[in-house]
Amino acid sequence: MMPPIVRLLAKRLGTSLIVLVGVSMLIFAIARIIPGDPARIALGPNATAEQITMLRERLHLDDSIAVQYGYFVRDLLRGDLGISLYTNRPVTADIAQFLPATLELIVVAGLMMILIGLPLGIISARYRGSWADNLIRLLTLLGVSAPSFVWAVILMLLFAFFLPLFPIAGRITDSYTIEPVTGFLFIDTLLAGNLSAFADAAWHIVLPAFALALSGIGQAARLTRSNMVETYDKPYIEMAQSYGFPEGKIAWRFAFRPSLIPSLTIIGLDFAAMLGNAFLVEAVFAWPGLSRYGVAVILRKDLNAIVGTVLIISAMFLIVNIVVDLLIAFINPRIRYSQRAT
Amino acid sequence: MTAPTLLIRDLYLAFRGWAGQIDVLHGISLHINKGERVALVGESGSGKSVTARIILGLLQQTRSARVSGLVAFEGRALAKLTEAERHRLRGNRISMIFQDPMSSLNPVYRIGEQFHEVLKRAEPRIAPAAAREKAAAALADVAIPDPNRALDSYAFQLSGGMNQRVMIAMALANEPSLLIADEPGTALDVTVQAQTLELMRDLVAKHHTSVLFISHNLGVVREFADRVYVIYKGRIVEHGRTADLFADPRHPYTRALLAAVPRITGEGVPEIDDVSEDYFQPLVVHEGCAEPEVTG
Repeated sequence: MMPPIVRLLAKRLGTSLIVLVGVSMLIFAIARIIPGDPARIALGPNATAEQITMLRERLHLDDSIAVQYGYFVRDLLRGDLGISLYTNRPVTADIAQFLPATLELIVVAGLMMILIGLPLGIISARYRGSWADNLIRLLTLLGVSAPSFVWAVILMLLFAFFLPLFPIAGRITDSYTIEPVTGFLFIDTLLAGNLSAFADAAWHIVLPAFALALSGIGQAARLTRSNMVETYDKPYIEMAQSYGFPEGKIAWRFAFRPSLIPSLTIIGLDFAAMLGNAFLVEAVFAWPGLSRYGVAVILRKDLNAIVGTVLIISAMFLIVNIVVDLLIAFINPRIRYSQRAT
Repeated sequence: MTAPTLLIRDLYLAFRGWAGQIDVLHGISLHINKGERVALVGESGSGKSVTARIILGLLQQTRSARVSGLVAFEGRALAKLTEAERHRLRGNRISMIFQDPMSSLNPVYRIGEQFHEVLKRAEPRIAPAAAREKAAAALADVAIPDPNRALDSYAFQLSGGMNQRVMIAMALANEPSLLIADEPGTALDVTVQAQTLELMRDLVAKHHTSVLFISHNLGVVREFADRVYVIYKGRIVEHGRTADLFADPRHPYTRALLAAVPRITGEGVPEIDDVSEDYFQPLVVHEGCAEPEVTG
């Protein structure tokens, strides 16, 4: 008999695989149905008819979509996503280059959502009605109501231009040369033992990550607050108060944990949605990430790159969801134990 | 003569809201002697539960609440204590049992963890192992068959009756001198409620714990309480020993309350007035039940 948490994991992985296959079919078909001839776009206005025919043949563009999908799956199983018509390199190489930058950005933004958003929500609920609560509610409303690229521009103006506390753009100062091993600057600088480069990379990521995280911080804080306010009316909180449990403990443990479940779900969704939202922030901060790459290849109708990028983003989305599901099962014993019955 | 465990004299409570002031308690007085079980009986909204919240000092923290009058615990007026001193009483010298045991225990923490937290109120530095031992003993006292299993469970894994026993064990674990039972077990089956009430009665008798028993269920009150206060719309209307009051209800509201209990013999639901001028008649006190002198 498998432990319930393993069963849950196996079930989620299975359904995720099905979703991934569905997404690949869908994006594969959509990319080919939208108008425009990829071969013509790739070769430019001066290409001859023969050149275009040759490229179309190489890309199997004259076969039916089903047959093309067959070729795609065959290559995919060999770990080959095809050649990008935009960069003229294997799509896998492009993704390996651009994905780490975006992942780094998103992970830092996600941490900000959790480490800033949740405590703000808890403080707001614990001291509800006070000036601190009102201030937090106002600030988080601002965070939710403006899109992240607006914040990117504002933050850049305020803290990189008028008040040059942070670098204005890029991932790291050019004077550092770091051997790319994993592509993750935080890991590579540590592998190189270069702590000042690590600090420099961390310095560079603060503004873009914060701009990206702001709406998530706002959502997490507001949701945590409203859930906790509701939890505060539950008999078990009254019981905790009548037994004189320390107020801080009631807020940070007894009221927070039951209220955390919806917040976690939202953070998980935000986290995955950031993969797409990162584009404008990456554009503002000249961040060499996957979202920018994804938009560039869509504009060029670079079929292989579009499918590859979307597949990677979907896989990320699914992984984040699995992690969130496991976390919720860990926090909520009712879910954890109900797995046994199924 | 020692001071009564609880003495309430002329307690007023009002809530100040957008629509002006709403009076909830109109100067109630009651007392509970050491080891005595006293019931406060009335319909919902009569001010029973707010009285309990005031005794615990919780309602005083609500900004919209206006509380005046004397509440003295073991001869010391709560209003004269510091907030820290009042806080020290909670869960330690005064504890409380709630209406619905299922929702009064935190759903995401094991019983053992919550019990540990309760025991910390008396012994802040109690080690987890010692706490567990104490908790297991307390659960055994309330006739829970496998205390260690119960401690490792979550509230939703136990039955309502089990949870109620856990609540009783928690309430008595720190040997409080006053136990407030706010409609205990109203959410439970009648048979389970009867069992747990009997258990509670035996335990408080053993520990000489004074009890304020808040209820609308006259049948239960008759079995459980030594003395009864009947409360109607924030006023005490009748007060007497349980036997006297049930044998000879003198206030019109008490009589209506007694008449309102549906008979098991099947005479249908009795008809009584919702509101009657008679219900506002002055307080009736039975023989030998005068409120004690306030000293100090």
